[in-house]
Amino acid sequence: MRIENLSIRTVTIIIFMMIGTVAIVLSLFAGNYFRQSALNAQMSSLSRVIEVASQEMLKDVRGYTFDLGMKLGNSSELVNAVKNIEQPGGRENIIALLDDPFINGFVGFSKVNMVKLRIFDLNLKLLAESSMGMTGVESEIAAYISGIIKQRQGVERLKAIDGLWRSSYGPLYSMVVPVGGLRLTAYLEVVVDPVFNLPDIGKITKTPVSIFSIGGEQLNSNEQQDTSGFLPVEFGLLTSDGMPAFRIVGYENVDKLNQEMEKTKIVTTSGFLLLSMMTLLFALWLFNRFLFVPVSRMIQDMKQMACGDLDLEVNKTGLREFYTLAETFNLMADQVRMRTNDLRDSQNRLLQLLDLDDSAILYFGRDNDVIYFNKGTTDLFGYSYDEMSDMDSKDLFADDIECLMKNSVLQKLHVELHCVRNNGDNVKCNAVIHRLDVKGEHGFAVALNPMMNEQNELAEFSAVNRSGIRDQRMDVVEQSLNSILEIAKHNPNLVMGSSTMGMLAAQYSESDDEKSVLRNQCVNIMYTALACWEHDLGKNKLDLADESKIWQVYIDKSTPTTRTLDKYLNIESCPKNPRCQRVIDTAEFVLKKMGSRNTSGQKKLQVLLDELRLNISGMKASSSKAGI
Amino acid sequence: MHIKDNRFTRSRPILFCLCLMLSSKLLADEKPFVPESIPGAIAVSAEEVIELILLNPDLVVIDSRKKTEYSKGHIEGAVNILNTVMRQEDMEMIAPDKTKAILFYCNGTRCLRSADAVSKSLEWGYKNIFWFRGGWNEWMDKHLPVITD
Repeated sequence: MRIENLSIRTVTIIIFMMIGTVAIVLSLFAGNYFRQSALNAQMSSLSRVIEVASQEMLKDVRGYTFDLGMKLGNSSELVNAVKNIEQPGGRENIIALLDDPFINGFVGFSKVNMVKLRIFDLNLKLLAESSMGMTGVESEIAAYISGIIKQRQGVERLKAIDGLWRSSYGPLYSMVVPVGGLRLTAYLEVVVDPVFNLPDIGKITKTPVSIFSIGGEQLNSNEQQDTSGFLPVEFGLLTSDGMPAFRIVGYENVDKLNQEMEKTKIVTTSGFLLLSMMTLLFALWLFNRFLFVPVSRMIQDMKQMACGDLDLEVNKTGLREFYTLAETFNLMADQVRMRTNDLRDSQNRLLQLLDLDDSAILYFGRDNDVIYFNKGTTDLFGYSYDEMSDMDSKDLFADDIECLMKNSVLQKLHVELHCVRNNGDNVKCNAVIHRLDVKGEHGFAVALNPMMNEQNELAEFSAVNRSGIRDQRMDVVEQSLNSILEIAKHNPNLVMGSSTMGMLAAQYSESDDEKSVLRNQCVNIMYTALACWEHDLGKNKLDLADESKIWQVYIDKSTPTTRTLDKYLNIESCPKNPRCQRVIDTAEFVLKKMGSRNTSGQKKLQVLLDELRLNISGMKASSSKAGI
Repeated sequence: MHIKDNRFTRSRPILFCLCLMLSSKLLADEKPFVPESIPGAIAVSAEEVIELILLNPDLVVIDSRKKTEYSKGHIEGAVNILNTVMRQEDMEMIAPDKTKAILFYCNGTRCLRSADAVSKSLEWGYKNIFWFRGGWNEWMDKHLPVITD
């Protein structure tokens, strides 16, 4: 597609549509990214919640085990039993004391799953352990806890310490407290299984939770959970020394989140698109108001001015650039108007000057028809203005000018021509024939001057001098005719001073085919009209020419003839540019004279007349459409 | 001027509410902390308390908290005497010698009970007063041994 075929309006609408499309696509993308971000934030949030819940769970476990440990560690029975461990039955006594909480319970018995109670000496060597609870647990205290205790000195060693550690059984939780209160004699380790408390995480987070061992085994498999439509969020619970202990998977119900996000997405996207569309429409209205309408109006005005309506002015109402453009165009149109007026005046003056000249000056077109003639021509040949218009070179000269020009290579030819006057007399004239090309169409201009008495030498001298003047005049005539014909061809309205110029313009504007049709129609009508005239009214063509006053009756050697009318009765002799109006007037005259006889010839003439009128009106319409 | 008065009258309830809110906020924020030290008493940490107890078996440890709090857990050897009910006679019965080392503690830095008890003891002429300013909160934070009933 060529860019010239696109209007500003089309391009602007396309750009706005592109912006609108981009806005829609971006809003959809943004909606999806927003959803993904929201899900990520939700997952991150749930992960943090699980972490906090895990710490809360361990805190509860810590509280129960600390209380139990302190209670046992400060009991005088256990302290004395530890002191007397080397005594007979001392170890059994300790074991019995350590078994007691398993049997009789303790505060928080149902809150934790205690699996072992163990006593270590100050060097962290195992002294005794409960016979109840888990079996097969390593005899050493957890490396993490023992490392810290060994680092501690003095009072620091009285502080209780706890930790999650990995045993051969699995992750266990231990609380180590001093035995003997402030007077440290040994260490008591309370070992619990944290798996018992892990489901509490779900109670804190209020979401379904699955707990997996590091091996992947689900530890709370007894809980039936429907997690379809839930988003799983995994959190890794680590031991105190940073080793993975459990995998906790929380399930977030994303249905509600999705619904809310969908709702938010619809609202925000719709709002954004609505605002975008409103903005685009408003922008389009602004463009239309300040760009499209002024430009359209300006183009319309400019087109009219280009067609010759230079009195029009381009509308200047608009933005600064349009105002400047219109102002500049109007100034240019003013200049053109002034120059055109000057030119028209010059042409008119020139035509008037040519009319004032006593020489006969003619211009013959490509068909040898007379295109232009001055007043001296009508005086020389004795024809009226209308009669001259129908003449061609063969009618006016006994010599074949066309042949003369063809045989000559000169641009200008000085010859003697025999002019055939209206009354049949031949007049010998000095002539200068000048080739004249207008837009590739060959024609020639002729300046004629009747020859004086040959015996009058003074007159001859005068004639020789006048011949030189004619040459100069012909040069001027050539230039003037060229410019006038050029303007007349493209802008007939500008050359109003000469009716022949309009005729010339029509000659150049009509195609050969159209002219051929027109000539045929003219000949047919004239032939039919004459036939009607002679057959139905019983008169001859001299009567027609005489009564209608449309056609000239010539007297050739005392014999009346209708030379001009005769031309229109034969296609060969019919002028290339026939006088259609004369033909129409003749047909109408004949029809009027025939009245209501309603003969076949009358009907045929009427039909032919209508066809000619139709053809002429069609040609006029196409000519005006072509801007001629 | 008349307009100004009207405006002031109308905005008076709002100003009052604002002042009330501000003062309550300030009161909440400015719940009095115990002083850094009490003249005449020696402030000690949890570790120093243990050392005092271990080095000085005659040390009198007085828990100035409520009985319920005391029952949930206290420092080994501590005697529970609420500061508000503490009388000179009670003190003279526990520590007839006014040069005897006495340690006071309560819940912590926001608790004024032990500070009050220390002040009273100083007034009553006791010379060797130790004040565990961090109190029970510090003791528990450090996971030190506790005695529960």
